Amino acid sequence: MTISTHQAPPLVTLRGVTKTFGDVVALDDVTTDLNRHTSTALIGGNGAGKTTLLRILAGVYRPTEGSATFAEGDMTAHRRKIGVMTESTGLHLRLTAWENIRFHARLFGVEDGLARERSEALATQLGLGAALDRRTEGFSRGMRQKTALMRALVHEPELLLLDEPTAGLDITSARAVRGLIESLVDEGRGVMWSTHDLTAAKVCGHVLVMHNGQLVADGSLESVLEAHGAGHLEDLYLTLTNEATPEFKAGMEGDS
Amino acid sequence: MTARQRISAIAQRELLDFVRDWRTILMMVLIPLLLFPLLFIGLPLVIGGEAQELAATDVNVLIRGEDVPSDLLTALENRSVIITTAEPSVDVTVDDDEVRNGTLHAVMLWNTSGEVYEIHLRHLSTSTLSTDARQRVLVSLSEWEVQERERRVADAGLNVTDTLDPVRLDPGSTDLASDGEVQGLVLSSFIPLILTMWVVTSGIQPSIDMTAGERERGSMEALLCAPAKRWELLAGKWAAVSTIVLVGVMLQLGGLMFALTFLAGPSLLSTPDVGLLAILLFVVAVLFFSVMVVASELALAIRSKSVKEAGALLAPTSLAVIVPAVIVQVINLDGVETIWFAVPVVNVLLAMRELLLDRVDPLHTLVWLTTTAMYTGLALWYAQRQFNREDLVLSPS
Repeated sequence: MTISTHQAPPLVTLRGVTKTFGDVVALDDVTTDLNRHTSTALIGGNGAGKTTLLRILAGVYRPTEGSATFAEGDMTAHRRKIGVMTESTGLHLRLTAWENIRFHARLFGVEDGLARERSEALATQLGLGAALDRRTEGFSRGMRQKTALMRALVHEPELLLLDEPTAGLDITSARAVRGLIESLVDEGRGVMWSTHDLTAAKVCGHVLVMHNGQLVADGSLESVLEAHGAGHLEDLYLTLTNEATPEFKAGMEGDS
Repeated sequence: MTARQRISAIAQRELLDFVRDWRTILMMVLIPLLLFPLLFIGLPLVIGGEAQELAATDVNVLIRGEDVPSDLLTALENRSVIITTAEPSVDVTVDDDEVRNGTLHAVMLWNTSGEVYEIHLRHLSTSTLSTDARQRVLVSLSEWEVQERERRVADAGLNVTDTLDPVRLDPGSTDLASDGEVQGLVLSSFIPLILTMWVVTSGIQPSIDMTAGERERGSMEALLCAPAKRWELLAGKWAAVSTIVLVGVMLQLGGLMFALTFLAGPSLLSTPDVGLLAILLFVVAVLFFSVMVVASELALAIRSKSVKEAGALLAPTSLAVIVPAVIVQVINLDGVETIWFAVPVVNVLLAMRELLLDRVDPLHTLVWLTTTAMYTGLALWYAQRQFNREDLVLSPS
């Protein structure tokens, strides 16, 4: 499903990105590229720095050091080209799914008619068609996830940032979401997908593994596995997050 | 899409979200609309009913003394006082005990000393019936004293009316203030207080919901990912809270006016004599005050990490406005020092009071307009600073 077009300029470039909150170093010297036609799995344990990295990409945080650029400009200047689905979904529960989507569509400058058209198409694809005009307070976790995903997609972003998009979804729904993401990648968009679900991560063309704010693996799944002599992603993840030593990391940097 | 459209979208969404909550409708619409009418209907009914019930209740009064005039005793009995008479006694302990346990409601010690009657009353002020018994005795005594005085004057061969009432005040003495001006005075005694309290209290809940509430629910992060600048978020939320506050104020004033006009009798309310300039300045004062209060509340609420913390912060802070509002009500406007018109909160409230009296003092107006604009600007600047904080989204992980 991944067509990596490394010849094209990267969609997003991160160079030496460090983010601190007081004494806490949430991100430490992160350097990588995100490309079009590529889905990137962002893997890491709790507190690894995944959400901070997503927030920097979304323009919510600014790097303390280093740079994050979208094509040739600052991330915040290109917010309308980015769609974000946050971990908590962030829906307004007294509003219907459509009203939630319409609100964000308006902020992104999408007319109501067009937003409705796109919402209905996405809802059908995700199996949420009948619930579009229902208040989200009665929604299950999965339905809220889908609504948040639709909201992130309604302005047809070039880069989609997803924080645990399949968490809490049943098998059918998770497959529908993955299918949607695959089709978005095929259309040429870049997708970054933060997940604990290594099964889902296996289908991504680009894998980033984070640990204690540092990027400890970066590349295609095959190249990362080969570089560290791991047979499976699970083995690699455990090795990198539990046993990673400075020498090991130094070797990693040399590889990448 | 322009900034104005984004602000409008944010404000519309906030308002839609807010009115979808039935508690909001109750709080913002029903209570303001019904509070004063209920007070004006319910309170007199309750008070009147209680008074009637009390008046119909017999009270027991012990009169210790000799030669108590029979017409006084009759007057007391006509007020449902059951009288027991007894000889004078030095020891009042037993009588006091009976008042305390409710067997008696009051004791009157009567002593005739020549032409003078010396009276000592004993009652229990914490008992409603005992207090009422004392009141019935006092009223009866007062009426009887009038009759006694007239009798003595007549016995002395004097004209009773001329002797006892030598000064005649014309009941039609002229008040130079028109009815409308008097009405302005009446309104100025409570409208600024009500407006202030309502602006402050009605802004708290929506301010918290739209800031700390959004942070807690996680919707703030989704909002920050949208291509709206932070000041646009503040402006949208400010517009929504201000709308809620102003609608609430209008409803409350409407309820109050309705109650005064239709329930309290036409004599209590007539159209106040307030000129157009004063009305316009009054509206400006309310608007400035609302902008300042709502901006401050949003700024304080956005600093809070949770709804609970915001509530704990804003509730006591509101006293900083309500206490001066109460004090301002008793400040004498005649000869008030100009410096008061520069003190935050106090200035707007004093201005409202003056304007309802149709007093447009150029110096006062200049001072309160300038200082209020400055304080409002400061409040907005502070709110903007808070909305620019990066930690509007928490949990660095």
